Amino acid sequence: MFFDLSSFVPPPVNPSLPESSLSMNWFPPNKVIIQGINNYQATVCAVQTKAYGTDIIAGVSPGHGGTTVEDIPVFDLVEQVQTAMGKVDISLIFVDSFQVLDAAQEAIAAGIRQIIIFTPRVPPQDTIALIKCAQETNTLILGPGSHGIVIPQQVWLGNLQPQFYQPGIVGLISSSRHLGYEVAAELNAAQIGQSMIVSVGNDRILGSDLAHWLATLNEDPNTKAIVAIGQRVNQIKSIIAYSKNHGYDKPIVVYLAGLKAPQAKVYRDAFTIISNHLSASIPVVNRDRQTVTELRKIGIKTAKKPSEIPLIIQKALASSF
Amino acid sequence: MELLEYQAKELFRMVGIPVLPSLTIQDARKIKQLQIPYPVVLKSQVRSGGRGKAGGVRFVANTIDAIAAARSIFNLSILGEYPEVVLAEAHYNTERELFLAIVLDYDLRCPVLLGSAWGGMNIDSLLANLQQVAVTEEFSLFYARRLAAAMGLSGSLICSVSEIIAKMYRLFKEQDLDLIEINPLGVNHQGELMALDGRIKINDHALARQPIMETLNFSAQQRANSHHNTRQTSQDFSQVNWRWLDWHHPTGKLAMICNSFDSALLTWDLLEQNKVTPACSALIENTLTTDLAMEIDNLQLYREQIQNILQEIASFSGVKVIMLNIWDTAAVHREIIQTIVDYCQAEVAVLSPPEQILVNQVQVTTADGINHGNSAIALGESREVEKPPAISVPEFSVPRPYFVLRLVNQGDIDDLPSSPQVYLSSSLEESVKQAIAMVKSS
Repeated sequence: MFFDLSSFVPPPVNPSLPESSLSMNWFPPNKVIIQGINNYQATVCAVQTKAYGTDIIAGVSPGHGGTTVEDIPVFDLVEQVQTAMGKVDISLIFVDSFQVLDAAQEAIAAGIRQIIIFTPRVPPQDTIALIKCAQETNTLILGPGSHGIVIPQQVWLGNLQPQFYQPGIVGLISSSRHLGYEVAAELNAAQIGQSMIVSVGNDRILGSDLAHWLATLNEDPNTKAIVAIGQRVNQIKSIIAYSKNHGYDKPIVVYLAGLKAPQAKVYRDAFTIISNHLSASIPVVNRDRQTVTELRKIGIKTAKKPSEIPLIIQKALASSF
Repeated sequence: MELLEYQAKELFRMVGIPVLPSLTIQDARKIKQLQIPYPVVLKSQVRSGGRGKAGGVRFVANTIDAIAAARSIFNLSILGEYPEVVLAEAHYNTERELFLAIVLDYDLRCPVLLGSAWGGMNIDSLLANLQQVAVTEEFSLFYARRLAAAMGLSGSLICSVSEIIAKMYRLFKEQDLDLIEINPLGVNHQGELMALDGRIKINDHALARQPIMETLNFSAQQRANSHHNTRQTSQDFSQVNWRWLDWHHPTGKLAMICNSFDSALLTWDLLEQNKVTPACSALIENTLTTDLAMEIDNLQLYREQIQNILQEIASFSGVKVIMLNIWDTAAVHREIIQTIVDYCQAEVAVLSPPEQILVNQVQVTTADGINHGNSAIALGESREVEKPPAISVPEFSVPRPYFVLRLVNQGDIDDLPSSPQVYLSSSLEESVKQAIAMVKSS
């Protein structure tokens, strides 16, 4: 059966377009705080990143002000950290999913303009509200569900394991942690290494998506080629939109892992969500193949497995010089 | 969490969406307390749709009929679910039935109002006439009027239906809903509206801040589902956990064990690209710790958890190869190798006298895979002849699986015992190749 969607009016501004967020540029931070530091994962992250040399100046955990976690002073409020220790560059957020919006808004209100949300599965209405707030204040949001950012041997923010990376020329943007490790291992073996690794998270709505970081890495002088790793085809739609609107001058490789794995279906648009809710037997049109074809058409290379990635990059770099 | 009809209607009542007078009963005899005049509708309170067709909705004209009907509804399972509650509701004469819903559109990143002038059970005509209005800015009543007009409504219905939508929107925002639906919204001959059935889904990850959770009585099934959904996010202090992924293939010959969901995704993908569909996949997750004292406990726990997984895999017939893809510390990798080799050797020891172990030490090549399988079966037979049944362990009568261990960062493992049953590599694609060869030769 054919359903007429012509009556459907799209909103005037699509906030997922990277233009709106381009001004929120990443800069390597000095002073770092962790919100939700009493959470076990946050404590582990604090200990490890601090040992690596990241300047974790304080933690925030309401009700635990005045205590310490692994020698890191803990405050009740973000603004108390600012008063006591000066300006904070970035906040790493580990609070429970339903507290993320509040924690991030607190950080923004205190003037912090870079935020990484490690907590996954944030209620989607909260993420939407947060993105709106971030756009109004020019705040960069990475996540929800991010594992952080690494610049090999320079910057370590989060719970990616830096020993799996080597300094080099490839910018790596990934929806998840281990897929990034696998690709990095292949790049290390080919001795081209990584300039920067960004884990954007895997929630249905993200503060900054693969395309946002594609734009950032396209500007980064240390990055000569870019690899975007996703788990689902819809994640690369923003890459197609970005490439059509902006063009790019570095080789881009897209690797989609898990296309053949029996992942649970994720419905995104209102019509599909409601028709699936009414009756599970209504077939959903699968446009994955079309999207992948479209990607190839605009000249972005796709890899079938991690070992192909360094080969594609070496070939592309050789032909551009 | 998906609410049952009567729970959804409690929320409707809270914001002033009209619902029929009703009584919820947990016992068929309680229906005698009913204050509503007959005829009455009795509805099974289960989550699954299609309860009408399954016999979960009954019209009754008097108390005697009602008790009998309620009894049969309590004893009727719909898609495996028995109701804990039956809703008894007044009858309503409708002239037409509308459909209204609000969901979040992840592509547009805003709530979308949906409506169809063809509400009710016929899903095809409902969807064919479905209208949508995206709420791109702060909600205002005109969005709802826009939907009502698109649905083809006219006269006083434009305003009265819009009011209902506004109330639904209030619930959607305040209660962190993923979905709210009224189907059907009954319209009687006077143009009055009545929410005759409704469905509500609360976002699982916002449940903790919803006070409504305290007032609704959730069924055991709802609690179990909600627990299942939220379990993954809970901040668990225990160090090593494992669970099955919901991926099964009954004729698969390979079982996977990975330490993250995305690793499992990748490994499955690479196997599937080579036409090998795994039988199942387990996830073993280790919350990393830098504390050395805790790490020793962790290793012991890791060993036990791997043993638990292997024990469960042993109960799946047809699994010939077990592939592990684990990224962890060198210490954990050592523990895994030790555990697997012990596992192989322990079984050999139970299986057969020592001289026959040598028979089983076949070369680890593809060609010998077939021989290996045969020799293991042969050993199993000889055990039954030679050993008294008291010593034999039934699980070990099946041929033992072949292991492919993909461990990055192996560290120094030269001192560890090796086993011909175990292939070890730090390369994912080499490991996958080996696993595929083993599956195809078995």
